[in-house]
Amino acid sequence: MSFATYLVRRLMHSILVLFGLSILVFLIARVLPGDPARVALGPRAPEETVQRWREWMHLDKPLYIQYYYWLANALHGDLGISLYSRQNVAIDIKTYFPATAELALFAGLIMTVFGVSFGAISARYSNTWVDNVVRMGSYVGVVTPAFIFGILFLLLFGYVLRILPTTGRLDYSTTAPPIITGMVTIDSLVTGNFAAFLDALKHLLMPAAALALGPMSQEARITRASMSDNLKKDYMLLVGAQGIPERLINFKYLLKPSLIPTVSILGLDFAALLGNAFLVELIFGWPGLSRYGIQTMLLSDLNAITGVVMMLGIVFTLANILVDIVVAYLDPRIRLTGERLQ
Amino acid sequence: MKVQSKILLVVMACGLVIGLATVGLAEESLLRVAFSWPTFFDPAVGNDFSSSSALVNLYDALVYPLAGGIIPNAAESWEVSTDNLTYTFKLRKGIKFHSGNEMTAEDVKFSMDRLLEIGEGYAYLYLGKVDHTDVIDKYTVSFALKAPFGPFVSSLIRLYILEKAVVMANLKDGPYGSMGDYGKGYLLSKDAGSGAYKVKEVGLGEYILMEKVPGYWGEVLPNAPALVKFMRTPDTVAVKTMMARRELEITTPWEPEEAYQEMAKIPGVEVVGWNNGFSEYMMLNNQKPPTDDIHFRKALNWMLDWEQVLTGIYPGWTQAAGPIAHNLPGFKEGLFQYYQDMDKAREELQKSRYANQLKGLKVTLGVDTTVPPREQFALTLQANAAEFGIDVEIIKMTWGKVQEVVGSIETTPNGMHINVAPHYPEAGSMLAAKYHSSSAGTWEQAEHLLSPVIDALIDDALATVDQDERFSKYGLLQEVLVELSPSMFLFDVLEKHAYQVAYVDWSALLDNPRPTMGYNYDCRYIEVYPDRIP
Repeated sequence: MSFATYLVRRLMHSILVLFGLSILVFLIARVLPGDPARVALGPRAPEETVQRWREWMHLDKPLYIQYYYWLANALHGDLGISLYSRQNVAIDIKTYFPATAELALFAGLIMTVFGVSFGAISARYSNTWVDNVVRMGSYVGVVTPAFIFGILFLLLFGYVLRILPTTGRLDYSTTAPPIITGMVTIDSLVTGNFAAFLDALKHLLMPAAALALGPMSQEARITRASMSDNLKKDYMLLVGAQGIPERLINFKYLLKPSLIPTVSILGLDFAALLGNAFLVELIFGWPGLSRYGIQTMLLSDLNAITGVVMMLGIVFTLANILVDIVVAYLDPRIRLTGERLQ
Repeated sequence: MKVQSKILLVVMACGLVIGLATVGLAEESLLRVAFSWPTFFDPAVGNDFSSSSALVNLYDALVYPLAGGIIPNAAESWEVSTDNLTYTFKLRKGIKFHSGNEMTAEDVKFSMDRLLEIGEGYAYLYLGKVDHTDVIDKYTVSFALKAPFGPFVSSLIRLYILEKAVVMANLKDGPYGSMGDYGKGYLLSKDAGSGAYKVKEVGLGEYILMEKVPGYWGEVLPNAPALVKFMRTPDTVAVKTMMARRELEITTPWEPEEAYQEMAKIPGVEVVGWNNGFSEYMMLNNQKPPTDDIHFRKALNWMLDWEQVLTGIYPGWTQAAGPIAHNLPGFKEGLFQYYQDMDKAREELQKSRYANQLKGLKVTLGVDTTVPPREQFALTLQANAAEFGIDVEIIKMTWGKVQEVVGSIETTPNGMHINVAPHYPEAGSMLAAKYHSSSAGTWEQAEHLLSPVIDALIDDALATVDQDERFSKYGLLQEVLVELSPSMFLFDVLEKHAYQVAYVDWSALLDNPRPTMGYNYDCRYIEVYPDRIP
């Protein structure tokens, strides 16, 4: 089986998984007790109005009919009306997802660059004070929830030192760039609005760092462990004996193969950032999808719950496929194994 | 140059650029107020705290509530027919919508028809009461009622007049027949009002930015802010930080007490509180043992450590005297207030049906997890009840769960701790919302009182058009309810905010707060002095 065929099969499986996920989340959301229409409209709304909403949402129909309507509309980009925002869930996702994606992107960048770097440094200076500091820091990072870091950063940099902004994506006085991707940093760069770019970066710094510290610590530990293992292998003795420069050894022969377990976890961590961002978004007033998702869940907003969970499911699926591609690049044995099987 | 030096140079350069990027811009007259979200400023959709506050600024109603009563607003006068069924309003001439067009009777009719057809928001105040609305001439409109409704004029503070032409020009597909979506899609992010402020920008789900309308027909204080931003409230830590950095002028009223105490220490910040007409109750399930017994309910009132509650848990709050807040028009003076007396509690328990079953008798109290003092209150009552062997079980629940459990008598706990707001500034609003059978099983009435006698008294009072007579009937109802004790009448709700007293003058409203949700955020009466920002 060629690698291309392997990828196509992965995609087909992913579509099946997403289909199953849609059924699962649809059913769970709808069998939960409560009357979403009544909750949304309040206790004083007349029964005729509430009944009208139930009919619009097909809540008076059997579950399989409701699912049919939902699926048929979803395939056309219509995810139904949100009781929370009173507009189509697709519009809400389009509004909120870029903010979370931007946050996750920067958190991912911090997590990757610093996680791998600290892990490599720790492995390079194994069993020295450098290694001990990085390992201790990693333990703290792994066990401390992101919202604790968020609150600490807010207090230190926002309240005591007052050098970073506390909430939102841009200062009130900054001219926002036109919406292209929805990510303010990218949109402002593309349109040449550097003041907005820098302001957006400042707003991103604390929430992204708070979100990244936990997975960054995990990446550092995994990278260190992997590099330490590979350092002891016979092939490392061989390349060392051949007089190859240390820098080349570290990057090509040690780091590259050591990154395989790191990259595998990285992909999942990256996708998990989207779902774990809720408390960080809440603390920093970040208008993202995670916060929207939790708030709609508390209101039993069925369409929004289904839409958000499906969105996260798609992101996880794509992240897994991307991880597969990157791992295959890093480990030629996977590509060779595929060809050999054919 | 060594690698380390290069890195240091790059970091310093970045820091310099970032710092330069934040050179301050000119101060603007801006008022930022934090609210819970979502906020809907469509007059036919919004009816919660934040929505009502936005509506007050963007739209005009026919009448306006002051602390003492109702005054004319968009209407300059009105008459009531002899049969008390037709109310005829004369509009002020020259009121301009934000589009520049003049407000006419046709717009008023359209606003009422739209509200009734959509059936959301404040429609419940008029559904079943308003039969039809007629345009008499360009500036005269009449409402024909199905039956006399005494507080009708008071209730019109919630009929916000929108411009028919703007709504009709922005209809989309929808479920309202030829009216499509009735402009609901358009009004999610735009307004069609005539208020002192208009929508400048909306961050959906995040904020509404409003700008002052030049030449507004009504009163606007000279230093009313040019811009007003109602924004979703962030986490408490962020709120405190924003107040310290002068990035927020007024907090929500839902911050924890500790947060207010800390914010009060910030120079230039003051914490203010006023009775907003809301009342807080421990709603006792009148259909479920043992709270179905009047003597048991009275015993609960006698055994509560009121002093501990008022000084330790709710400092600064006023103990309720009956079911109506002291400052709500129609409140009856001199009603009985409970105090802790364990002997009297014992006497009442002995008179109850459960006198011989007290040991291990179970009482369930529902507590909303988002309001910490309520759990403390429940713990106090639990401790007090334990002295009689009564086992109080505290059930914590989310607000969504609260709304679900109160729907039936069986699932409603013996007690639910909730506060309720009047929908219009009269005692009748609370009496109907709290104790009429039509509201039983909603979060406003977890008592399930279901009393035909009380229903008849409420209906009779609300049908009385003469205000003095109506208020007298409200008074009788309050006496009856105090005796019946369907609820523990806990407090007049103290609405607290931290605000930037150094450069925000809120006195025009706070010196005499309106007991009507939203109207204390009428920003044309709030002055902002940017040059005084510390």
